Amino acid sequence: MLRRELRGSWRATLLWSLAIVGILALYLPLYDDLVTGDMQALLDSLPPQLVQTLGYDDLTSGAGYVQATFYGLMGFFLITAASVSWAAAAIGGHEQSGRLELDLAHGIGRGGYVLAQTEALIIRVVFLVLVGTVTILAFNGPADLGLELGPVLVASCALAGLALFCGVWTLLAGAAIGGRALSAGVGALVAVVSYALNAVAAQNPDADWIADASPYSWAFADAPLEGGVPLADQWPLWLFVVAFPAIAMLALRGRDLRG
Amino acid sequence: MTTAAIEVKDLRKSYGRHVALRGIDLHVAPGSVLGLVGPNGAGKTTTLRILLDLLRPSGGTVRVLGQDPRKGGPALRKRLGYLPGDLRLDGDPTGRAVLAFYARVSGDVAPHRAEQLADRLGLDLSRPVGALSKGNRQKLGLIQAFQHDPDLLVLDEPTSGLDPLVQRTFLELVREARHDGAAILLSSHVMSEIQHVADEVSVLADGRIIAQGDVPSLRRGAAQRISAVFAETDSDTVWDQIRRLPLREVVLADEPDGVHLDALYDGDLDALVKTISHLTTTELSIEEPDLEDAILQLYRTQRDPDRKTKPVDLVALAQKAAGK
Repeated sequence: MLRRELRGSWRATLLWSLAIVGILALYLPLYDDLVTGDMQALLDSLPPQLVQTLGYDDLTSGAGYVQATFYGLMGFFLITAASVSWAAAAIGGHEQSGRLELDLAHGIGRGGYVLAQTEALIIRVVFLVLVGTVTILAFNGPADLGLELGPVLVASCALAGLALFCGVWTLLAGAAIGGRALSAGVGALVAVVSYALNAVAAQNPDADWIADASPYSWAFADAPLEGGVPLADQWPLWLFVVAFPAIAMLALRGRDLRG
Repeated sequence: MTTAAIEVKDLRKSYGRHVALRGIDLHVAPGSVLGLVGPNGAGKTTTLRILLDLLRPSGGTVRVLGQDPRKGGPALRKRLGYLPGDLRLDGDPTGRAVLAFYARVSGDVAPHRAEQLADRLGLDLSRPVGALSKGNRQKLGLIQAFQHDPDLLVLDEPTSGLDPLVQRTFLELVREARHDGAAILLSSHVMSEIQHVADEVSVLADGRIIAQGDVPSLRRGAAQRISAVFAETDSDTVWDQIRRLPLREVVLADEPDGVHLDALYDGDLDALVKTISHLTTTELSIEEPDLEDAILQLYRTQRDPDRKTKPVDLVALAQKAAGK
């Protein structure tokens, strides 16, 4: 079933990959021009709250630039959107299309179904993050980004964890309630709230609880691209990635399938 | 004793306040075909989906091939073939790829079995399933249900969208499966497909079984349609003769060639023939009711869903009608 799922979505995976490479190919070569130009003067002229909200407070270092443009913004939105749309199709979408009914009428168990869909989701999201990572590393030298391999991998892992965090919320909503649009809505809401809480936390450095409540902050608040952030710090994200599919299995087992 | 393929007792299902099944009993033996007939919303699809563990019953007991569907899991469902009532297939994979997938997960498909079935039903397996017409999707649905030669086939409105020639092939497939010992439960609101293939019929209306028995009994239990022309008389005279007979929906008309009678007749033929022997009968036709008529008559007489009545025993009804 995992193979069928991956085969069935290879075109979408390819298009998402092209979008990621295209965005990076657009942004990364601009870095050199920005540092040599009047970027810092421009940023200094902007209201500090706006700069913090956009995550542009360290735009003049390679790590800060790649974090602000890709990991914290376009990469986050693109890969999270892919994750949520795949997860919404996985249970809620396939239930609406009738495929889930036919699958479960054969020798496929509900638990096994959720497990295979989770594996397919993780493989595709990790693949997209890998495409982004390889592209960034390819531009590292030519664009003079000055990134090191270790921190790039830690940041990529955080991005994958964050996109999957939104994906497993979507998956759980599909398993517990059903409906493609509804489960996609849950995933999108989780992504937006995470991002918004992080932006609010950036403006209120004293209110730690806001950052603590934002999965976006769990991934990126310590600026993993700059180095010195251990991989283990991402455990809360990955805890959800493991726990939610397990809960989704129980939820799908316990309910009627919609006709 | 052979284990029943399906044994359902007092099955109930509610969706919130809506009651879909009000306590139904079903029994299907291996090597037999049970037709589940009823209008839309009667509870046919709900019953079938409970057998497949797609829905969970609110009450009653269900045994499929001797096991509780909730506990049987994938191992039990590998032994079942299921055609959903509203089969939707989408995407790029070809029919062949879809069948190969289900052959892998349900196992034990004889070599070339899918191709043979596709040839018989006239389906091109190289086309993407998303591009198939409703009829061709239905054929693919039938192949995925039949290809692993399951012990029990559960088919929801199986001939929907099929042309008459393919319907005939479908009936052949059902008979072959029955011959090989499989049990078949098929639901339909098209009475003719049940009429031709089912050994027994259960009539479902408003979540309750209102009649069950074999097909000839069901037909015999229903009124026959009588048409006759009586010469050299008038309608008053004819009415005097026939009014004691158990007739319904009587239409009498004085025409130039005689009195035309059209009615439904619930009694035995001997009484009818003896009664009209006093008249000059120039034309007489007695039509066996088809299953459709029989079932419509049952629906009319069993309207109240809350009425706690036993299902009509069709065999007893037929014997009564035949005057035994």
